[in-house]
Amino acid sequence: MVKRPDIRLIAIVAIALVAVFALPMLTSERYLLRVFTFVGVNVIIITGMALLFGYAGQVSLGHAAFYGIGAYASAFAVLTLGWPWVAGVALALVLTAVGGLLLALPSLRLKGHYLAMATLGFGEIMKVVFVEARPVTGGPDGLSGIPYPTLGPLEFDTAGTAYWLVWGVAAVALLLAYNVVRSRAGRAMRALHGSELGATACGIDITGVKVRVFVISAALAGLAGALYAHVVGFVSPSTFSLHVSVLLVAMAVLGGTGSLAGPVIATVILTLIPYSDAVIPGLSRTALETIQEWQEDIYGLTIIAVMLFVPGGIGSLIRRIFPERGDAG
Amino acid sequence: MDDVSFDVHDGQIKAVIGPNGAGKSTLFNVMTAFDRPDAGSVLFDGDEVTGKRPHLIVRSGIARTFQNTQLFEDMTARENVMAGAHAVTKAGFFASALRLPWTVQEERDVAEEAARLLRLVGLGEWTNTPAADMPHGLRRLLEIARALAARPRVLLLDEPAAGLNMAETVALAEALYRIRDEGTTIVVVEHDMGLVMEVSDEIVVLDRGRKIAEGPPRLIQKDPVVIAAYLGEEEADEL
Repeated sequence: MVKRPDIRLIAIVAIALVAVFALPMLTSERYLLRVFTFVGVNVIIITGMALLFGYAGQVSLGHAAFYGIGAYASAFAVLTLGWPWVAGVALALVLTAVGGLLLALPSLRLKGHYLAMATLGFGEIMKVVFVEARPVTGGPDGLSGIPYPTLGPLEFDTAGTAYWLVWGVAAVALLLAYNVVRSRAGRAMRALHGSELGATACGIDITGVKVRVFVISAALAGLAGALYAHVVGFVSPSTFSLHVSVLLVAMAVLGGTGSLAGPVIATVILTLIPYSDAVIPGLSRTALETIQEWQEDIYGLTIIAVMLFVPGGIGSLIRRIFPERGDAG
Repeated sequence: MDDVSFDVHDGQIKAVIGPNGAGKSTLFNVMTAFDRPDAGSVLFDGDEVTGKRPHLIVRSGIARTFQNTQLFEDMTARENVMAGAHAVTKAGFFASALRLPWTVQEERDVAEEAARLLRLVGLGEWTNTPAADMPHGLRRLLEIARALAARPRVLLLDEPAAGLNMAETVALAEALYRIRDEGTTIVVVEHDMGLVMEVSDEIVVLDRGRKIAEGPPRLIQKDPVVIAAYLGEEEADEL
């Protein structure tokens, strides 16, 4: 779109950026920074999910598997093969992109909900693989002692620097996604979501576009995994279970369609729920335990409530404040 | 469909008419590869259309609209038309993500062309309105503008006047003249006899999957075979 930039929008994005990047300077509390680093990792995954679900209208129930493949691939490359972290990231990207392509090609050629079913099955298969492929994944115990991310002489070995690294990657991913959704490729995604017949008549190769978006979203999940493994230093199969895939869908649904900002806000909210004590000072231990116990019910209820009351999710609320600016990053 | 063949000449408005079930929409679907013919083929400019993947058809110069409009409801009128330019533009995911300079220029050109086409069909005021919020009659014009964005040589319109009131039909006819005057050939399947007789240079009449007549409106109106085919059909009075 050729539009004059909206001053309010620029101001909000600028304030958000400053706030996000200033956090490590305002607090030295490791726990808080860790929690917000998780938020950043999830923001990277949700950027891909927002493109896949919110723009192209495709549902994946297996993105935790790509997240896991990225984490294990990079951890294995660095820990066992002794590769530099960047090479581990590259391996994670290649494996998840190729995996995404192999999964998407057959299932997206068919009409209907084959992608959701194929990804669900894929997630379950990978769960078994993560547990059984002991030489690579460490089995049910997972891998520990994974080194911090390094870029040449730079080592991201403190909570603050790891936080910056993750959010730096998240900001770049969001910027690139923002460019895509405003472009011809973004219109193609929204078009096929709106009407596959209409999109075909416009010359849009609907299968081709869906496959591309799926591969991009899989690779972003892989990238997030490669960050997660090294920032946390430990990976185990439970981090990449179906429950995580469902959480990602909840974030995408709550975030709303045709929006990047909506899913990001939803991700911040839903990621923080089990770590409420990090953001609510003085939250009692029992209260936190109750929240954690009901966590999955909260996610499920969120999906239902959004579908019933705000079908457009947070994105549609943003559009009411900024008309014609729903695609804002 | 059974052995229907006709030619369309450049810069003409050609209408395809016939009683319900005559095979008009099937004809369109075969011509745009949305349906496959059991036998035979569609040639456009000497090229085989049959068997191509449908999204490639528009690249060979044939654009279409649908009987039930297939707009992108959440997108604005301008965005719908810009999406229509997909086949004649190039920016993919990678180039767009990096905002390569040529993609920015392409985007600007497409936006300008979309604005021009919206004015051409008389929708200049509706540029930023989501398709879902537009009145029925204007939605059909929007779909035509979207089809034109692909710069087709032939535009296939599937019952563009269905459900339109008098004023909207007049606006449609005017838009069709303007489009033809720009050099785009139009083939229209239509029930509205008033519109057909008024705008078309030539008419093909189908009945039960076969061509029963072809010629200019004046001759078709008097053709006994055509009148017989329409007897018992509501259009009989309108002829």
